Amino acid sequence: MGETFNSLMMGFSVAFQPEVLMYAFFGCIIGTLVGMMPGLGPLAGISLLLPATFGLNPIIAIVLLAGVYYGAMYGGSTTSILMRIPGEAASVMTCVDGYAMTQQGRAGPALAIAAIGSFFAGTFGVIGLMLMAPTLASFALRFGPPEYTALLLMGLFVLAYMSGGSMLKTLAMAVLGLLLGMIGIDVMSGYTRFSFDIVELGDGVGIVPVAVGLFGISEILLTAGQVDPPKVQQPTLRQLIPTKADLKLSVGPIMRGSLLGFMIGIIPGSAHIISSFVSYGIERRLSKHPERFGNGAIEGVAGPESANNAAATGAFVPMLALGIPTGPVTAVMLAAIMVHGILPGPMLIQQQPDLFWGFVASMYVGNVVLLVLNLPMVGLFVNLLRIPYAYLYPCILAFCILGCYSVSNSTMDVWIMLVMGGVGYVLRKFGYDLAPVALGLVLGPMLELSLRQSLAMSGGDYAIFVQRPIAVTMLVMGLILLGLALKPLIFKSKDWRSSVGLDKTID
Amino acid sequence: MIEAKDADVQVKGGLRSDQISGVVLIAIALVVVWFNREFPVGTLADPGPGYVPLLLACTLGGIGLLVAVMGARSQSLADTAWPEATRALIIMGACVAATFALERIGYRLTTAAFLVFFLGVIERKHPLTVVMVSAGFSLASFYVIGVLLKVPLPRGPWGF
Repeated sequence: MGETFNSLMMGFSVAFQPEVLMYAFFGCIIGTLVGMMPGLGPLAGISLLLPATFGLNPIIAIVLLAGVYYGAMYGGSTTSILMRIPGEAASVMTCVDGYAMTQQGRAGPALAIAAIGSFFAGTFGVIGLMLMAPTLASFALRFGPPEYTALLLMGLFVLAYMSGGSMLKTLAMAVLGLLLGMIGIDVMSGYTRFSFDIVELGDGVGIVPVAVGLFGISEILLTAGQVDPPKVQQPTLRQLIPTKADLKLSVGPIMRGSLLGFMIGIIPGSAHIISSFVSYGIERRLSKHPERFGNGAIEGVAGPESANNAAATGAFVPMLALGIPTGPVTAVMLAAIMVHGILPGPMLIQQQPDLFWGFVASMYVGNVVLLVLNLPMVGLFVNLLRIPYAYLYPCILAFCILGCYSVSNSTMDVWIMLVMGGVGYVLRKFGYDLAPVALGLVLGPMLELSLRQSLAMSGGDYAIFVQRPIAVTMLVMGLILLGLALKPLIFKSKDWRSSVGLDKTID
Repeated sequence: MIEAKDADVQVKGGLRSDQISGVVLIAIALVVVWFNREFPVGTLADPGPGYVPLLLACTLGGIGLLVAVMGARSQSLADTAWPEATRALIIMGACVAATFALERIGYRLTTAAFLVFFLGVIERKHPLTVVMVSAGFSLASFYVIGVLLKVPLPRGPWGF
């Protein structure tokens, strides 16, 4: 514990450097603006900003991108509450009761509770990250290729079980992503696969053009030609103060949402989206007056908002401890670290303590920045929503092209982005979740390498996966979850999605 | 009333969206299998570069089949509305043109022309606003990204 405290102090000495502090501040501001814009979620924001971080040192780069991430989570809730426009998918549940509160003239308390809940959950998540990541990383030093294979397979099975929509469609998208990850040079044999004589594809398909195409371009194609946004309410500072009753009602949902969100955040998939749905379902079930939900219940804002912010932080645990992304956002952030020659994995915390602890400390700072800065400035930020969409979307498109080109100064990345944008548009029309594609793309080469290394180790004996206790435990857990996910398909029974209303909203 | 219901069923009949998407997934799997024949698959004990792609293609094909078979109760393909499709095609066309132009005429001219097209031709905004937004955005973004953040952006043959 003393060692953790000392490391954290070292982290704060990094985070309080004026330059790091400034970038954390800018990250939060940019993130808030990005989160408020329909069509630009945290992923698109981080992807577009990635090339701009190449010239920065790795600590500043990751602090800036993390600021954008949790700033965007916060920004998304503001538009959900004030305009019923979820800036990003995790804020969908906040729309329900948040907007109902706005219609009752209680936008201020809704915004304040969302901010307080996000702050508490964010801080809780950072404490969890600080305590869990080093322990998990030490444990992961025992991992060899079979354990990594089992871990990645378990991650994919968990993804199928926890997916927001149809399990089969989620699995299909994950496999499609894994196949995309097969493009490029096979590191074990030297064969260049599926590159169709395009030199740039030899290095594989990058996560940034795929992510920007799937999430940014497809969103713009879907919302093309929409009417300008409705009138925006601007609560004053005085109106932001919640009543004692509001605070009393929100304490439980904030605490439950924080714990739940963090736990869900650690596992792969669209954790921050799922956690907000599950939290809403739990709060409605626990409430003595469930009929209030949907009509402006403050618990319906406090729970999901806390859960999605805690999940956003929880996602950093496997990313920093194991070097494994749990979703597209952490995948892009891993790419940002690797650009600087830093190898993610269990050794990261030992080899780069200033990066890990500086990052942890900067997240404490970022949470405070978001609370004290964004809440009083909410009136200023909502002015962005007054920009007519006719002006906004061409500029977002130009940014997408610029961002993808800048990653490797190649128009090939822009072509990939456009193809993925078109594919993403059609897939969304057919009700497919796109996050597993991006996740599969990153996990594909890892899974293939660890599988083939495992077989090389065992001389081709697949029993290696059941002879090693950690690997077999993870495989069994994954298979149990896959079985649970398949049960509703076989027996036509209801699964957990129906109980939290996730099936109706996502599908 | 029953007749009306029957008529409704008839209208809603035909191909389902999941049946189509399932067939497309199978087609993708077959394409992967076809291109994968160039790479040695190896053996179960010693997998080659074609092993995992083949495994994944077979999995995708299997899932596609399940999606298609179980998609009988999904939304009718005729009910899938595409009101934004024309606008989406125009957007994609403009993006394709901009990508072609980017390295040929440079970032600033491409972006300015791209925005003039959207704001002036598609959205029909006032010409003065169009010029101001297009020129302002392309120059300001070049300055911030290209000059301040030192990200190399393409310049045209005329040096800008």
